[in-house]
Amino acid sequence: MSLLQGAIAANRFGLGARPGEILAASSDPRGWLKAQIRPDAALIPADGLMTVEQVFTERREAYANMSPDDLAKLGGKRKAAADPSMQTSDGSRPEPGGQNPALANIPQEVRKEIQKEARQGLQQEIAARSRHAAATPDPFAERWVRFWSNHFTVAARNPQLIGIVGPFERDVIRAHAFGSFAGLLGASTFHPTMLVYLDANRSIGPSTQVAERRKLGLNENLAREVLELHTMGVDTGYTQADVIEFAKALTGWTVGGQARPGGGQNQQKLARLAGRRRGGGQGGGLIQVALDLQDHPGETVFVEPFHEPGSRKILGKTYSVQGKQQAAAVLDDLARSPATAHHIATKLARHFVADDPPPAAVAKLQAVFLETHGDLSALARTVVDLDEAWVEAPAKFKTPEELLVSVSRAAGAQAAFGRDQRAVYVSLAQQPFGAPSPAGWPDIASAWSGADAVMKRLEWANAVSQRMSAMGSPEDFLDRALGPMAGEKTRQGVSRAESAEQGFTLALMSPEFQRR
Amino acid sequence: MAPSNPAFHAINRRSLLMGGCAVTLASVAAPAFAATQQSNGRKVIVVILRGAMDGMSLLPKIDDPNIHEYRAPLIDAAARPLDDGFALHSAFASLAGMYKAGEAAFAPATAGPYRERSHFEAQDLLESGAVKTVTPDGWLNRALQRAPAAYSAVSIGPMQPLIVRGKAQVASWSPAVLPEASDDTLNRLMDLYQDDLLLKTSLTEALGANKVAGDGGAMSGMGGGRAGPGQYVPMLQAAGKFLAEPDGPEIAVVSLDGWDTHAGQAPALQQRFTQFDAGLKALKDTMGESWKKTALVAVSEFGRTVRVNGAQGTDHGTAGTVLLAGGAIKGGRMFGDWPTLKPAALFENRDLAPANDARSVFKGVLREQLGWDAADLDRIVFPDSAGARPMANLV
Repeated sequence: MSLLQGAIAANRFGLGARPGEILAASSDPRGWLKAQIRPDAALIPADGLMTVEQVFTERREAYANMSPDDLAKLGGKRKAAADPSMQTSDGSRPEPGGQNPALANIPQEVRKEIQKEARQGLQQEIAARSRHAAATPDPFAERWVRFWSNHFTVAARNPQLIGIVGPFERDVIRAHAFGSFAGLLGASTFHPTMLVYLDANRSIGPSTQVAERRKLGLNENLAREVLELHTMGVDTGYTQADVIEFAKALTGWTVGGQARPGGGQNQQKLARLAGRRRGGGQGGGLIQVALDLQDHPGETVFVEPFHEPGSRKILGKTYSVQGKQQAAAVLDDLARSPATAHHIATKLARHFVADDPPPAAVAKLQAVFLETHGDLSALARTVVDLDEAWVEAPAKFKTPEELLVSVSRAAGAQAAFGRDQRAVYVSLAQQPFGAPSPAGWPDIASAWSGADAVMKRLEWANAVSQRMSAMGSPEDFLDRALGPMAGEKTRQGVSRAESAEQGFTLALMSPEFQRR
Repeated sequence: MAPSNPAFHAINRRSLLMGGCAVTLASVAAPAFAATQQSNGRKVIVVILRGAMDGMSLLPKIDDPNIHEYRAPLIDAAARPLDDGFALHSAFASLAGMYKAGEAAFAPATAGPYRERSHFEAQDLLESGAVKTVTPDGWLNRALQRAPAAYSAVSIGPMQPLIVRGKAQVASWSPAVLPEASDDTLNRLMDLYQDDLLLKTSLTEALGANKVAGDGGAMSGMGGGRAGPGQYVPMLQAAGKFLAEPDGPEIAVVSLDGWDTHAGQAPALQQRFTQFDAGLKALKDTMGESWKKTALVAVSEFGRTVRVNGAQGTDHGTAGTVLLAGGAIKGGRMFGDWPTLKPAALFENRDLAPANDARSVFKGVLREQLGWDAADLDRIVFPDSAGARPMANLV
């Protein structure tokens, strides 16, 4: 039994110790962690949270309920809009998703209402996730989820994405966290949120008739990021030609019910047109496609006429499998690639051992990834068994979110955030679901420890300590949260503080609490 | 900084703290900002536009016969014609005025040595200054280590970018939103950090930076700890404020996010360009007289495809447009060559080909504006870059 090992389990592998957790983990620290490697431990109660389908359906209803006056106003604005795709009026192709220029042109009240609902949805997602992190008895499972959530980053960077980033984490990351990497990769790539976030929902096979008639084409974004960020990693031998071929394989996968203003009327008009032209060549076929898409709001749909026909050659291998199966076949191979194994192993070792991960730790994880075909439970067990991750000195500087979660666990969310949770995240520069790019948040100290960032942490710690000053002594807090990980210098500094408040500030800002 | 400013007292308290800690701090490093006579008041600002800003939207070459075929939906019809057949996007009202006044110039068709299309690798190399393998420190940090005088720098933005990371101390700042800790707490914390180089260095720098930024509280209303379009104006303004201080740093780095326009590019850029233009105006106004001795370089990691994609956006490309601004710039003109948009001239049949090296622009500015040694620039600041001659007569 080692209190120190228990403290390491709770802080480095977990999310920061809750009261009593260090002691509970101490009798068998590795066993305590491994017992959390269960599919159900990665889940979160979804009460009151919306699905992607619900978000899309609600938005469609909001659009459909717009008054004829609003629509007339919109008609004028749309003609003036710079985006010519907005001028099509027959509704025969799905609305572009990415930056959602449509939303910029709809009447302000409707837009505000839609955005307000989306923001509320996101705040509920963030609140549910924060509550869970603060209370879960399986903090290693939750850290594991958050690692993969950052690996497969989606961010609420525009109104269309705000409502659907939370569902992505639940549908994709949590559901597959302890399954296979291939399963996780497939679920991520084909999820509506990822298709929208990386613009694949509007990527059309360049030699399809749709592309030709509508002047549409390929969008490489998802293909590139899957190769560069999700699987093989940058500079691992794929070429620009491979990116384009993979992007072609991904064409056809889009999201249904990407509502447009006046959707109700459009749908009636479409139905009439479809009836008139039934079986009448390409135009009728596309109308049918549009109708089918409208029937599946917020669902991933494969639209054959959008898919680039033919076989693909990617990384030297020819994929003669066609249509719907093509992208999945490529993804399966990417999930098995040694480059992917190395990329994932490096990121895991960086997360659990050190910013500059020791090659031996990377090699162990890489071998397990390859042997088990990316079994994520086996990888999680290997992480726990890395001796390099159990050294006494905490090597990892906490990200702002880790810092906030660890205070929530040690002292409650009220202490960590006060009244305005969002303002705290903003001030510490790490809004949940707000990563600045598809690469996710950085996992190295130098990105988070700049002078300004440390000052912001100090300002936050100062506010937290005011809320905590009535919660017992800062020495007890150190014991509960860090146990033997708190060094003599920190203990002394905290015990000599001129007030409990100052003691809490020093404890929170101590080198040990700032790291894990 | 006027004494009537409500933040003034806080500033003085911080200054006192620095004084009180002088003995312990001396071993860390010099104070963040050392006054330097050698720079003669000349300033350099590096603005990094993250996400690949579409240079051909900022500055379309409207007399290139091929541009209309490739780009028709994305060309701003109201763009203002400048020289050599280029036009400036109409959102840049203030920048157009600077160009007219000889305070702004452009280097179109410019790229670093990187020829792949990963944002993250490209930004790392742009900031690292290396040709192939990213160094752990940034070129500006190495430049500071080899500076001809005791120059100092400040980084504006919530995260410390690679360009300023390294051995030399660089202060950093972003708008504050929470109340400050007491001086006594700061002293005790400094004591706690005695054996912790990372935290000690950062806290020391922060105390130096905060006494200058002063009314950061007034800026906090802008919202967002990130560097998106809503932050362009306060961040550029803050840079101006730091640089214009009597003993302010010589160099500022500002990171502006949000330029990756894969879809719906025209309205997205309209918004970003408008904010960027307002930021440039705020910077100039804030700097006052100092603006006359300032050279600003704004670069992005690469440009975007010549052709419009299926979503009215563009994808990752190669050459982009570099903006130069400030009273020190010999403005009102275009620098470098234009490779044309003829199909055979495109890089890999999709991108504007690089005709100028971004390192040449950086080197030209560092050399002419702040007097860096040419050999240091060729070998240490930008390793193996002797082939990229400093661009002449920028300043």
